[in-house]
Amino acid sequence: MILNVLYSVVCRDITLYCQRRGEWVVPLLFCVMMVTLFPVILRSDAILIAKWGPAIIWLAVVLSLIWSLEAVFRLDYQEGILAQFVMSPYPLPLLMVAKLVAHGIVIGLPLLILAPLLGFLLQLSPAVLSALGLTLLVGIPSLMLVGALGAALTLGLSQGGVLLAVVVFPWMIPVVLFGIQAVMSVANGGALGAEILLLLAMLIVLLVTVPKAIATALKISLG
Amino acid sequence: MAKNTKNRDHQAKKSMKINTIHRRRLYFLSLFGLAIVIASFLVMRALDKNINLYYTPTELAKQVISNKARIRVGGIVQQGSVVRTERLEVFFTITDLDHHIQVKYTGILPDLFKEGQGVIAGGYLREDALQADEVLAKHDENYQPPKGSRHAS
Amino acid sequence: MNRFNQLISPRFVYRCLNRLLPWCLSFSVILLLLGMGLGLFGVPPDAQQGDGFRMIYIHVPAAFLSLGIYSIIFCCSVIYLVWSLKIADICAKASASVGALYTLIALISGALWGKPMWGTWWIWDARLTSELVLLFLYWSYLGLRLSIREEKRAAKAAALLAIVGMIDIPLIHFSVEWWTTLHQGATLLKFSKPSIATEMLIPLLIMLAGFSFFYGTILCIRMRSELLKREWRSLWVSEIVLNIQLNTKA
Repeated sequence: MILNVLYSVVCRDITLYCQRRGEWVVPLLFCVMMVTLFPVILRSDAILIAKWGPAIIWLAVVLSLIWSLEAVFRLDYQEGILAQFVMSPYPLPLLMVAKLVAHGIVIGLPLLILAPLLGFLLQLSPAVLSALGLTLLVGIPSLMLVGALGAALTLGLSQGGVLLAVVVFPWMIPVVLFGIQAVMSVANGGALGAEILLLLAMLIVLLVTVPKAIATALKISLG
Repeated sequence: MAKNTKNRDHQAKKSMKINTIHRRRLYFLSLFGLAIVIASFLVMRALDKNINLYYTPTELAKQVISNKARIRVGGIVQQGSVVRTERLEVFFTITDLDHHIQVKYTGILPDLFKEGQGVIAGGYLREDALQADEVLAKHDENYQPPKGSRHAS
Repeated sequence: MNRFNQLISPRFVYRCLNRLLPWCLSFSVILLLLGMGLGLFGVPPDAQQGDGFRMIYIHVPAAFLSLGIYSIIFCCSVIYLVWSLKIADICAKASASVGALYTLIALISGALWGKPMWGTWWIWDARLTSELVLLFLYWSYLGLRLSIREEKRAAKAAALLAIVGMIDIPLIHFSVEWWTTLHQGATLLKFSKPSIATEMLIPLLIMLAGFSFFYGTILCIRMRSELLKREWRSLWVSEIVLNIQLNTKA
């Protein structure tokens, strides 16, 4: 019974994304622009690009993900949909997870495909590209969870994305730190080692604890 | 008669609601417990491989590390191993009492650097020796006045 | 129960803060001056680090209290979310900026201490990175509090933020044990005897007390003004305001 509800939430959100095309196109554009600006600044210095490329791609993905989350929550809040979620008899954490699943399919998946392509543009090696893809595969859900918590806390405020970035930043640091370290260790000739296990462990713990916090934050923000 | 059935229905509904709450809490707690177990297992596996700030010489001896990676090696400066040349080059050995590694460094060393002191050197591996571009002195957490001074206890 | 309600009533707390403030201020000034004087001149140089170790008298109290104040904010947030005690929220709000200041002092004094001793201003080891994350946690707490206009929502949201961030505190403390770091291990807060000479320890404890009383002073001042702001409609606030006006008239 509850799976039906969650499935309908996911379908509804995906349909909405298809209609509000700006929601998912703009973050992807931002990601591409930020990464392509980077070789221009460095004047195609291949060594520097190889050194900083993975970090820049990670940062671009993180920023586009977080700002897209903020936009989604804001629109749903303005249309009163979040209030209906809060008042529904179904467990709010699960509804939020369903919402994030939809967000992940529409924005996370394209980012996941885009990042190695951008890495290919920066002429990173295939090993680094696969490391990038793997770390982002584990990192993007964690970032979405943490970003959703921040978005729920800063719902409807005028500062919008910048405040969300400030609030979410301390919690993003471990995920981004280990993600970039993992890719850099592969770039330096090592194997994908301990960092991805830590990322996986973080994802599992976040997946269990954060949805409840998101639900509480929503109830606080909606009064 | 009608009132009795109404009360019974109300009681039945209330107990069902409490059961749902308890069931949900049970699901959540067991999921949480499972997550902690899996996460701890992953963290243990991760800590087996090195994510520390520096390698000890013993760890270096056990693994093969490419010379493209910038690494840090930490340990104690072996007694009698410091050799300085006129060109501001320093050669010394870092040891952790089991294994040791040669380090070559060009530049100014920190004040605390001396034989028997903890040290962390960062650089690239070149033929079993470390070509260091950074040498940091590490001190421990003991604070005592110098021996032989009138304050020493 | 009635007695407890009286103890946490805004009026009673305001009067207590008024009486505590001059004591906190004088204690903090005396202890800080005494501690710094002893630390700079009355204590012999360290066998390992020489005179450079004297930065300990600023760095360690600031770092210790940065963790302590966050723990206080965490406790106040839990109390506020569970029992809706307004005083707890006011205490958390008043403590946050002092905590952020102490964290900044700890990081800067640590950098000034590290450059001559270690040879570097900064390193991304577990201890320094987690303390930097603590600074960002304080800043995000303050940022959230500043941005939300409605009092109740701001209080609850900030309380949730503080509770989620608490995981950093044990991480900071045990980072030097769980991982290999450049930062040395714990000198005071460990299960064995403190590894510092007694005559070096005493000014450290004095400075710690001085920093704590300074925190208490700022807490008193901020809590007082916050209480007046929030309770502006009540009778006792009008009495205070009118009394002041009466005094100037007379």
